Amino acid sequence: MIEFRDVHKWFGDLHVLKGIRLRVAAGEVLVVCGPSGSGKSTLIRTINRLEPIQKGELIVDGMKVHDPRTPMTKLRAEIGFVFQQFNLYPHMTALENVTLAPIKVRRMPRREAEALGKEVLAKVGLADKLHQYPAQLSGGQQQRVAIARGLCMHPKIMLFDEPTSALDPEMINEVLEVMRALAREGMTMIVVTHEMGFAREVAHRVAFMDYGELIEIAPPEEFFARPQSERTRLFLSKILTH
Amino acid sequence: MLETFNFRVILEYLPLYGTCLLATLWLSAAGLAGSLAVGCAACAMRISRFPALHWPAAVYIESIRSTPLLAQLYFLYFGLPSLGVPVSETTVGILALTLNSGAYMAEIIRGGIQSVAPGQIEAAVSSGLSYLQRMRSIVLPQAVGITLPPMLGQAIVLVKDSALLSLISLMELTRAGQILTSERFMPAEGFLTSAALYLSIYYVLKALTVWSRKRLIHLHTG
Repeated sequence: MIEFRDVHKWFGDLHVLKGIRLRVAAGEVLVVCGPSGSGKSTLIRTINRLEPIQKGELIVDGMKVHDPRTPMTKLRAEIGFVFQQFNLYPHMTALENVTLAPIKVRRMPRREAEALGKEVLAKVGLADKLHQYPAQLSGGQQQRVAIARGLCMHPKIMLFDEPTSALDPEMINEVLEVMRALAREGMTMIVVTHEMGFAREVAHRVAFMDYGELIEIAPPEEFFARPQSERTRLFLSKILTH
Repeated sequence: MLETFNFRVILEYLPLYGTCLLATLWLSAAGLAGSLAVGCAACAMRISRFPALHWPAAVYIESIRSTPLLAQLYFLYFGLPSLGVPVSETTVGILALTLNSGAYMAEIIRGGIQSVAPGQIEAAVSSGLSYLQRMRSIVLPQAVGITLPPMLGQAIVLVKDSALLSLISLMELTRAGQILTSERFMPAEGFLTSAALYLSIYYVLKALTVWSRKRLIHLHTG
């Protein structure tokens, strides 16, 4: 479904992705962790070309993301993206937030889109918040609207960029719960997160990134019990002790 | 001081003030409409990626903002005819207000557009929305709310700036004061009456600004 073939990216002189090789199969849940500045956010942002790459090949759903001629709006419609800061549209209600893209991009009739939007918002536990504006919702509720916004496009892939990092602790679980349900349904997901409990529970594989390199990638049992690299061990000891 | 103030002469000139108040209103309204159109166009060009659009707009905005309106007015009034373009005083007046205010409007609109959080644009990009769809559904609806109060502020400035049109002998509020002064030698009565009428326009626009700010707050909290 997603394949990185020796992908490099630079921000000016800064080499942020150094030869990434990675394959993610359809239905797989991959959790990416690593220290801040390790390039993990950049990695998932290249998948829908929020960040262009400078070298290598990146194939997503059979389309060449690295090729400037690839129609990106078409590919982006197939990839849901959830941001750390939610990035909801503040002038629209929850229902309007989730139906905008189906109506504009998928050309879905408004009534149909609203029926879909209500169904998906109910699925993330927000059936009673359809007509609230983002400012009236808690962080956890806003993030669930953001997930619903992605799901309303019936995406093939969902990408999560630190979806719980901006949330108060008591709201983290309601968001993770929605993501767990999604993983159980067989959605292809890449999740950048430090929620190692979530990784243990739902990830098929866990990857560790540092200094723009993919240091280690393994199933969670192996990844947590027998980390191969010293850097992974050091990182895990830092985040698992508290 | 007030006992020497001649209200009778003001009453006598009231019809003149009435006509001139209307003239100020319509010159300002025309200038405002023109400056909105010019401001939108200049802003669209200014934020464009294409140098051929970007640079002319930047030069226009910078040169207007760095020179006095009076100089711009004289340039149009004396300059255009000498370049062989015959224009009436009214046209010159409206043109000067339009071009001057248009540059400020362009910057106000640009501020509104750029105040829309980049994260929202990324979210819209990620959903597959095109540039025009993002502008129409995400950026402009928010920019309108954000720019309304500063635009009304600019409208207030424009009304006051229209006083300069008296210098190219257009009939408007300040000119009415000049006429009363020169015919009856009563500058206090003449210009205070003009000032009072400017004040009344100001209060109407200010009330609109306050109302629009309240609307804006509603917009963001539902």
